Amino acid sequence: MTNDSEQNYRQLRAEEIRQLTDRGCTALDWSAVRVADPLVPERFADVEFVGQVRLGALLGDVQVEGGRAKPAGIYRARIEDCTVGNGVRIANVGSHLSGYQIGNHALIENVGVMETRKGARFGNGVEAEVLNEAGGREVPLFNALSSQYAYLVCLHRYREGLVDRLLEIGRRAANEAARDFGQVGEGAYVVGVPKIQDVNIGPAARIDSAQSLVNGTVLSHPLAVTTVGDGVMAKDFIVAEGTQVTGGAMLSKTFVGQGCRVGKQFSAENSLFFANGEGFHGEACSVFAGPYTVTHHKSTLLIGGLFSFYNAGSGTNQSNHRYKLGPTHEGKLERGCKTGSFSYVMWPARVGPFSVVLGKHTRSFNTEALPFSHLEADEAGRCELIPGHYIATVGTLRDGLKWPQRDRRTGPALRDILCFDVFSPLTVGRMVRGAAWLDELHKGVDRTVATVNAGGATIKRVLLRTGVKRYTAAVERYLLEQIFLRLERRLAGVGGSLRHLFSADAAAVDSTDWIDLGGQLMPRERWENLSNAVVAGSIETIDQLQRALLQIREFYEEDTWLWVRRQSQESLGFDLDCLTIEQVQGFVARYCEQQQKFLRLVLLDAEHEYDEGSRIGFGVDGAANDRDRDFVAVRGAFQKNSFVRQVTAELESLPARCDAVREQLAAIA
Amino acid sequence: METANRVKRVVAETLRIDPERVTDESRFVEDLGAESVQSIELVAAFEEEFDIDMDEEAALQVKSVSDAVKFIEKYL
Repeated sequence: MTNDSEQNYRQLRAEEIRQLTDRGCTALDWSAVRVADPLVPERFADVEFVGQVRLGALLGDVQVEGGRAKPAGIYRARIEDCTVGNGVRIANVGSHLSGYQIGNHALIENVGVMETRKGARFGNGVEAEVLNEAGGREVPLFNALSSQYAYLVCLHRYREGLVDRLLEIGRRAANEAARDFGQVGEGAYVVGVPKIQDVNIGPAARIDSAQSLVNGTVLSHPLAVTTVGDGVMAKDFIVAEGTQVTGGAMLSKTFVGQGCRVGKQFSAENSLFFANGEGFHGEACSVFAGPYTVTHHKSTLLIGGLFSFYNAGSGTNQSNHRYKLGPTHEGKLERGCKTGSFSYVMWPARVGPFSVVLGKHTRSFNTEALPFSHLEADEAGRCELIPGHYIATVGTLRDGLKWPQRDRRTGPALRDILCFDVFSPLTVGRMVRGAAWLDELHKGVDRTVATVNAGGATIKRVLLRTGVKRYTAAVERYLLEQIFLRLERRLAGVGGSLRHLFSADAAAVDSTDWIDLGGQLMPRERWENLSNAVVAGSIETIDQLQRALLQIREFYEEDTWLWVRRQSQESLGFDLDCLTIEQVQGFVARYCEQQQKFLRLVLLDAEHEYDEGSRIGFGVDGAANDRDRDFVAVRGAFQKNSFVRQVTAELESLPARCDAVREQLAAIA
Repeated sequence: METANRVKRVVAETLRIDPERVTDESRFVEDLGAESVQSIELVAAFEEEFDIDMDEEAALQVKSVSDAVKFIEKYL
């Protein structure tokens, strides 16, 4: 950005005023127009200067689409109270360009009106009514809004002191954005927009053919370019770095976080989208769309709900028809859930992590204690649940692999702090409790009973035992895996005695319960400490909060390990500090066996996508054997599928990895 | 013979189909219309009926009634 401290401005000379006037330029007061050297009058034509205007050196060219270049300068525009940087091109401003500080080499062309009014806040301070349309969980928008901050403010209303302080922090950050002048960042590109009012535009941003942008901020960075494209109408918004909002999207009181994609006429109101979210075609209303919330299809309405690492099938819908005193939705799909085509859930409801919801659920339920479950509505709209059905499936394993690979965020500051692990103390802890609950239900029910009720969902009695088995096996596999991975990492790097290998960082924290704070996993105690620090005032700015959260993230692996140590004792019955080398070698062998079994179950699940049922419709107009040939031509062979190859490779390499660890263990005996 | 009859009864009850449709040769998916989520219900129902604890990986690879009978008999 060019400003007085960087640039020496001077008044225009009489000869320059004459030359500019000859080129159709006018000014109410030429003395209010100050320029930097060199001034090239040929770079101006038909410009109306109004108020205090500062002009940088308008030399050289500005690069535009398709590798073309256009000369810097100001042509056919009314410029009011603006500071224009070096090498800028402004052309064809229909009404006026007013109240902007325009960074070097920016391009503003074919805009109608572009103005900043005094005291504008650029979307900062707007409060989105998330989760409940009628309010009660408002989240203030501000440039540094993160998924973690928003989660705490939105969901933790029961901690009044905490939320008051956080709101104070957020509102202060929002107030700091208030300015009398808007910004157009260095190298930004603003073309073909009829109306821009009170909108900040970050460096290198591309605003191309948007329809109307009012009271907002387009954060951008040369390493994380943000695009606002064709036909977008946005009011009271903030769009973060590296995000694309295009295709006639409509935003109102909405925050779109880093690395998101919104377009194809998607509309969002009172909603928050965080890292790598995607919204196309459908509608979001009062939604907390945590990281990786994805909705791609028409007729899909997300309303009044909390989502993260979520995939919405076409026609997904939710509502709450019970309220008479104003809307109360309170839907919560915990991380990793999917909803099938035309599924419906009556809010309030809470779905445990990594579950799949199918059908029309017209009765509320809470399955938080039963992760990885299959939830299908029966004909009466009741939820029928199969516990732990998705523990060893292609979808679950693929999700865990793909999310880190699909993190589109770039640039210097990634605000949302993410933990991608599918199996973690959060989900495994739920399985520990889920197994205990199902076991209790199983023991307490007579064999003549067909189904039991669990949190409003129906479970067939025979599946209670299945659920216990699946959860128990998954807990054991996870714990053994963590032990194995620790050995594999530390035997090569750290070395030392078993006790030393298994010791946790002294600063690690252990809590039985873990929480998912907007995509960041942490022990409850860490959250309590953070919360207390906010209430006590030792965290009083958004930067301090972010630093504290990042510090917690740094301990994620060691906190996880401490949880694993304790849970191993509870679930597997051994104290890691009291094991012999031979016992540990035995656990490695046990892990190898269980992990191979797990991977084979995943492959078995993958095979379903190549079975008879999956081949229906292939080989149209061909002979009988053309069906399989057509299928292979389109889908390829099972063994050649990239995911299948990846899992197979892991399966095959596992014994050697386990042997290596056992040998290294023998060496320290 | 007794095992086969019990298997067929459990299959008919679990898949909610006419017991007469269930034959030795019936394949769960192709002939009886079992969906993937019902496979796990079948395994659970067999475990309860015969009071056995089956290996899930092996059990899910059983595709027909006659194979199920042979598979279960190994546990009895």
